[in-house]
Parts: sequence; structure tokens; C-alpha cells
Amino acid sequence: MPLVIKDEYPEKLFREDGKRLDGRDKYELRPIKMEVGVIPNADGSAYLEWGNNKIFAAVYGPREVHPHHLAKPDRGILRVFYRMATFSVFDRKRPAPGRREKEISMIIADCLEPVLFLELYPGTAFEVFIEVMDADGGTRCASTTVASLALADAGIPMKSLVTAVAMGKINGEIVTDLSGIEDKAGEADLPIAITWFNEKISLLQFDGDMEIEELDECLDRARVALKEIYEIQLQALKKKYIEIQEEVSGGNVKNDEH
Amino acid sequence: MMNIKRVISTIEKNYLINNLKREKRIDGRGLWDYREWKIKSDVITSAEGSADVSLGETRIITGLKYEVGEPFPDVPDEGVCTIMAELLPLASPLFERGPPDEQSIELARVVDRGIRHADCIQTKKLCIKENEAVYILFVDMYVINYSGNLIDAGGISSLVTLISSHIPEGKFEDGELQWTGRYLTGDMIVKELPIVLTFGKIDGMIFLDPSLPEELICDGRLSIAVTENKVTSIQKSGSATFSVDEIKMLSRKAIDLGAKLRKDLDLWQYKTEY
Repeated sequence: MPLVIKDEYPEKLFREDGKRLDGRDKYELRPIKMEVGVIPNADGSAYLEWGNNKIFAAVYGPREVHPHHLAKPDRGILRVFYRMATFSVFDRKRPAPGRREKEISMIIADCLEPVLFLELYPGTAFEVFIEVMDADGGTRCASTTVASLALADAGIPMKSLVTAVAMGKINGEIVTDLSGIEDKAGEADLPIAITWFNEKISLLQFDGDMEIEELDECLDRARVALKEIYEIQLQALKKKYIEIQEEVSGGNVKNDEH
Repeated sequence: MMNIKRVISTIEKNYLINNLKREKRIDGRGLWDYREWKIKSDVITSAEGSADVSLGETRIITGLKYEVGEPFPDVPDEGVCTIMAELLPLASPLFERGPPDEQSIELARVVDRGIRHADCIQTKKLCIKENEAVYILFVDMYVINYSGNLIDAGGISSLVTLISSHIPEGKFEDGELQWTGRYLTGDMIVKELPIVLTFGKIDGMIFLDPSLPEELICDGRLSIAVTENKVTSIQKSGSATFSVDEIKMLSRKAIDLGAKLRKDLDLWQYKTEY
């Protein structure tokens, strides 16, 4: 279907002054905002704005498994449903979930599972629903990050949070946190997630073209960015309880921890 | 987690009904009051118009996308607008995954009919070239939290989305579709503002804007879409029956309450400058 404006992007992804098209330095993240408890009906929920990405995550569980044959007698299961709104992308997306969404759902489930104690919940399911309302590159990383926050908000025992970021290569340079344009026009894209309890990589995909040394640089640089995002996650999680504390004590909280 | 279940206990039901008999609601409202409205417009960067609307704890995010396609042969100079609703499983434990069910189709259709039968969308303005190219608008509603009365929230959400729209203006030159550099904005494609109002009925008592517990125990609902002085669509749902006098009373009430809401919400403030 034709559109009046075409989806085009420039060849040069750096400006004259050496900054990226959105004004960032090579290793700079886009602005990130997170909030927990945004969906009152859910057992746990979180909302994230990461550049132009806007994503909701909600957790329900432990609850009965549908269809029943998926239930495991010795442990719980984690099911993740990553979906994009029709209007979240340039060309309207078809409403039914596509192959890409199903694959990303599975990747995120595999990424989050190591931090949960599923063996404590036999015969039940935790269901994580991720809804991308506005997409601008790096949605699987942003989704993983916000999903782990929603799990924590649900009060589900976890070994740690999970944080993800997309590294990449544009115009021959390694950069942190690819935007939508950079993702489409760049040479390589490397989404990566860390589980903080063992500080290991739990999600890793790679598409593109990179020297082996560049891959090393990506992995090293990712660590710095992940740490930065992790701090924002922790603040978002604490904020809810600080607000409750302030409400209860009438605004006089002496808390030097935050 | 909120107290959400398919079945409301008898004691809660009786409490609710006894309150209604004294013209009171369990959340402190009067019979003809809405819960609090919160509206934000143009919240989605990728969409050509959008709205984030909360009615109490019910929350719907709606976005608009467009395509250019061929018109229907019987109206060769008019664009098309379709409305869809998704009841996300994220929004309530009562919603299940899968293709749209009856409830979401009803929501989309009732909102659609309210808008379609009023002089709201100026479909002739959505024509690029007669017989060849018109705009096809997609207004897609996503329920983020379900706490009763999706229809009224969806109606306002769709309306604000259309008002906040900014669709690239196209023209045909040498048989090719080109962008004029300008945008069609909400004030150019929207005229009348139809508002859908939903009334619940329990044990013969009628009230506006059912909340979740009220909706779960009510016998039925009547949704009435109104413009400034006309009724444009009606939907009765649930097993309740309404007398002719009740319908006459409610259609007048809908016009009065609709006018008040239109004034209170001042929807034209959400138009965008492009």
C-alpha cells in the first residue's frame, strides 16, 4: 500500500560535528524513563519510555495454565507475549501477531527464565504481556528491561533484575543504543542482556558485519551502558515504595538510602 | 492487584443495589455522573494521531495510521475510516489472548457506528483523486486497563485521536502520488463531535457510566451516541429489557449529558498544529 511520505533514511548517520543524527555521542544512551505499577489490574506492571519507544509490561501469575497440557508437574512455566500495536511503526502493522513477534517473545522468555525460581511453582504459569505502543529501534531490549521490572513489581522471587541494550555499528563506528534509523541503515545490530546475579549474558543476537575486535569492543561498551540502565531500573522500583512510605508518614521520610 | 473476579459476591451485590436504590453509587458518584476523565493527545510518535484516555481506572490508548487505496465504487470520491479494538490480556485477568472476541468487536462497532452516522468525519476531504486514490484511516484502540465502560472511553479516545490527527497531504502528478508538504489536520477532517453514553441497568435502576463491579452484575446496558441535537446510534446489550418510556427518557438524557460532557472536555483543544 502506498504512503504519501516514503520511509527513507540518510546514508550518513553522523552529523558534521561528529555527533549522531539525534545529537548523541557514540556511547550515549537515549533518555530513559521507567515507572512501575501503572496497570492496576495486573499483579505487577511497568511502563518504559526509551527515546521514542513506549512500552507497557504486565505480569499475571502464578496462575492456571491454559492450555492445560503445557503445565509441568515439577515446575512453573514462564510465558512471554511480545506484541506491537498497529500504529507503533511507520507502515501500519497487521493486528495479528507475526513471526517476528513470536520469535522475540521466545527470546525474551528464555532470557528472563534464569532469574526466576520456577521450581517453586509447579503446575502454574507466569504470563508476561509486553505491548509496544510506539517503536523506535531496540524494542526487544527495552521490552526485556521493562518485563524484568514488571516481574519485580509483582513481588515474584527473583535472583536479580535483567537489563538489555542494543549495541551496533553505523558508518564503521561502534555505537551504544541504536535508534530506529540507525538500526535500519546501519551495518550491524547486537542486542544483549545481562542477568545481574551472575553477571552473565542471557540474551544475545547479532545481525550484520563486524570484525572480531569490534565485537570485543561492543561487549565491553555494553557493560557500561547496562550498568547505567540498571540504576534507572532500581530507582523506578524503589520510587513506588518511597512514595508509599511518604504517604504513610505524611511526607516526613528520613531516608538516606535513596 | 485489584479485586477482580468473574463472580461478584451476593453481599457485595446487595450493597451495590441497596446504594443504587437510594440513588447512590459505591464510589460516591450520583446516578448521572461520569468518573474522572483524563485525556492526553498525540502521545505516539509513530502514529498520525493518538490519544491516551482514562475514565476512572479504565484506560485506552488509540492511534491512527493511514494508507492510500482505491475508493469503493459506489462512493468514488470518499475516503474510508475503520475502527478496531483490542482487549489486551495485559489489561485484565478477564481478557484472554487470541483473535478479537465478541466483546472487542462490539466495542469497535458501537464506537464506529456512533462516529459513522454523525456528520463527523468529512470523507470527501479524504479523497486524493476521484475513482483512483483515497485515504483509508485505521483507528485502533488498545485497552490498557479494564475497569468498566470501555465504550464511552473508546468513543472519546477515537474522537480525540481523529481531532489530533496530522495526515500527510497527497496529490497526483503525472500519475504518481506525491506529498504536497502539508498535512490534513483534525479540524479539516472532523466536523461534528458525536459522544457515546452508556447506561447500565440493575433491578430496574438505571445509571450512567457503569464501573467494573456495576458492569459485572448489571442486567444490561444501553449505549446511545448523540450529536448536539440528534441520536446517531443505539446499542442495547446484555439481557436487560427497557420500556419505551425508559428509552425515551434515556435518549433525552443522553443529549443533555452529552452536551455537558462535550463542554466539560472541550475536545477541540486537542487539535495539533502542523
